[in-house]
Amino acid sequence: MSVMTGERGEAPTGGGTLPEISFRRRAADKVVQALVYAAFVLAIVPLVSVLWMVIGRGLERLDPTFLTHSMNGLSSGDEGGGANHAIVGTLEQVGLTSAMAVPLGVLTAVYLVEYGRGRRLAKVITFVVDVMTGIPSIVAGLFVLAFWLLALGFDYSGFAGSLALAILMLPTVVRATEEMLLLVPGDLREAAYALGVPRWRTVCFVVLPTALPGIVTGVMLAVARVMGETAPLLLLIFITDAINANPFSGPQGSLPTFIWYQAGDPNPQAVERAWAAALTLILIIMLLNLGARLLSRLRKPVSR
Amino acid sequence: MKNGSRLAALGGVFVAGALALSACGSDDNTGGSSAANAPGDVNCVRGTVNAAGSSAQKNAIEEWKKLYAQACAGATLNYNPTGSGAGIQAFTAGQVAFAGSDSTMDEQEAAQARQRCQGNPAWHLPMVVGPVAVIYNLPGVDGLQLKPATLAAIFAGEITKWNDPKIAADNPDANLPNTDIKPIHRADESGTTENFTEYLHSVARDEWKWEPAKKWPTEAGGQGATKSDGVVTVLKQTQGGISYVEMSYATKNDLQTAKIANGSGEFVEVSEQSVGNALDTAKQVGQGNDLALELDYNTKSGYPIFLVTYEIVCSKGLPAEQAEFVKAFLTYTAGEDGQKVLSDVGYAPLSPALAGKVRAAVEALS
Repeated sequence: MSVMTGERGEAPTGGGTLPEISFRRRAADKVVQALVYAAFVLAIVPLVSVLWMVIGRGLERLDPTFLTHSMNGLSSGDEGGGANHAIVGTLEQVGLTSAMAVPLGVLTAVYLVEYGRGRRLAKVITFVVDVMTGIPSIVAGLFVLAFWLLALGFDYSGFAGSLALAILMLPTVVRATEEMLLLVPGDLREAAYALGVPRWRTVCFVVLPTALPGIVTGVMLAVARVMGETAPLLLLIFITDAINANPFSGPQGSLPTFIWYQAGDPNPQAVERAWAAALTLILIIMLLNLGARLLSRLRKPVSR
Repeated sequence: MKNGSRLAALGGVFVAGALALSACGSDDNTGGSSAANAPGDVNCVRGTVNAAGSSAQKNAIEEWKKLYAQACAGATLNYNPTGSGAGIQAFTAGQVAFAGSDSTMDEQEAAQARQRCQGNPAWHLPMVVGPVAVIYNLPGVDGLQLKPATLAAIFAGEITKWNDPKIAADNPDANLPNTDIKPIHRADESGTTENFTEYLHSVARDEWKWEPAKKWPTEAGGQGATKSDGVVTVLKQTQGGISYVEMSYATKNDLQTAKIANGSGEFVEVSEQSVGNALDTAKQVGQGNDLALELDYNTKSGYPIFLVTYEIVCSKGLPAEQAEFVKAFLTYTAGEDGQKVLSDVGYAPLSPALAGKVRAAVEALS
């Protein structure tokens, strides 16, 4: 393709049949080009400065002690201590969240695209998913607080936090998966049907594998989003300085709330820990992204 | 399903990562901590208990739970500094074992608390005292005396010279210079600011027009400094400066502190003793072991600017293991070992008389 357009583009100028491009048009071209570059720089400045700050200040405390120790038995003014309890909490909570939201979200999208087209139920679901996208995270937190903790009487736990996170994650997964499934060419489905493959096998072995890289990207974006979510966790997982590996019982730590509490503390040692935790969070999200990319690349369907 | 197996693999990565991390993680941070304040002999109850409430007593609780856990491995207290109101709410909803609060519960809250304690009353136990010292930097003028109205007018920016007639009237013997007063305040949000503005608001409403708040009102003006240490540093460099900090900062840094007039017109120096005197004049408004106090900023005896924070506990009715932990922990905090820690972290201990009452009340918990 690119070769062809190149030839087409060059032919007229080479022949010299067209008049020179006017100064006005060339000036406009340069001005717009400059504006686009400026916009690019503007967009990149906050990103780079955030990364710069977080890496620069986070590296001061990002040591093995920080990763392997909790804050147990330390007050915020003490040196040392770490975020192990928060890292464990965040991984377990987000893991549980994904275990709830991803299958449900993907299946919902499959229904919407493959089975429910034009049906009333599908329209209702689409509408509800749209509404869910707009739920502020604190409201999701309050809902779980009122429902799970106050009405049903369960205690604070990591699982309560992941319930709220699942509410936030679900619409993002549905939306992303839906977009990806819609991109799968109808020809593929028709080809499968023509070979006598039943619908459910077509979905499982033709449609989903084709859309997989896109779905994984969408899921990873959703994971990254809920991993940094603070407000519902502040309400639901309580606070603890000790490692609690059981997300179903007792207070748990989490990286966002750890950052929140440590950054709000007047002691410089606590602020250093907050920066290191911010860097840790970014690194975890990056690693997960890389891992998911790798996974979906390894399992890519045979190229056509 | 292939797709399912991929997602399961992803989930497996999460779980494996979390397990690996928790397996090599450690709760043991005893590396270099000193045992200077270690409690001698505590009734050791292991377990995990949640509490929430006042952020004003956060540092005290943090220190206490650290020292308690050092003496009693396996005892974990999780204290969430959500603020007094949220703490009381979490307590009455049955989510935490006890609440920390700067203020006493109103009737409705007390009724909810009674319900939460299975029909038994909830008690307020005073545990931490936070005195605020007025510090200044004026060489040659020691023992500055200030009436509440004068103090408020200075911080409101209405009095701008040290030899203002109002200040002179409070200090008939002092040789006041004709220099500018430079009020310094906390630039960040702070419990100290809240205590101090609460005091100004209740005793000098004509001069101090703003509501009590954690953040210094910008209209009041003056120079800002971050954290208590910052205030002390700026004050030391500023001749003619005046500010307010927790008492321990004033004593630690050997700063000039002003004597403040109490309700009887007597000028009182800030000290654990004088704050204790004022505390003893506070009226107990609770019944029996409920030690809810009515603080009087116009106290007739002792130093008037301070705050008392309570632990709000069920007198009975908590699940046994929680009740046992709470009782053991509060026995430590109200005891001598616990109270002597307070001066190191910016507070003052309870007066001996009140501490005695609190110990008796904790003893009666079941």
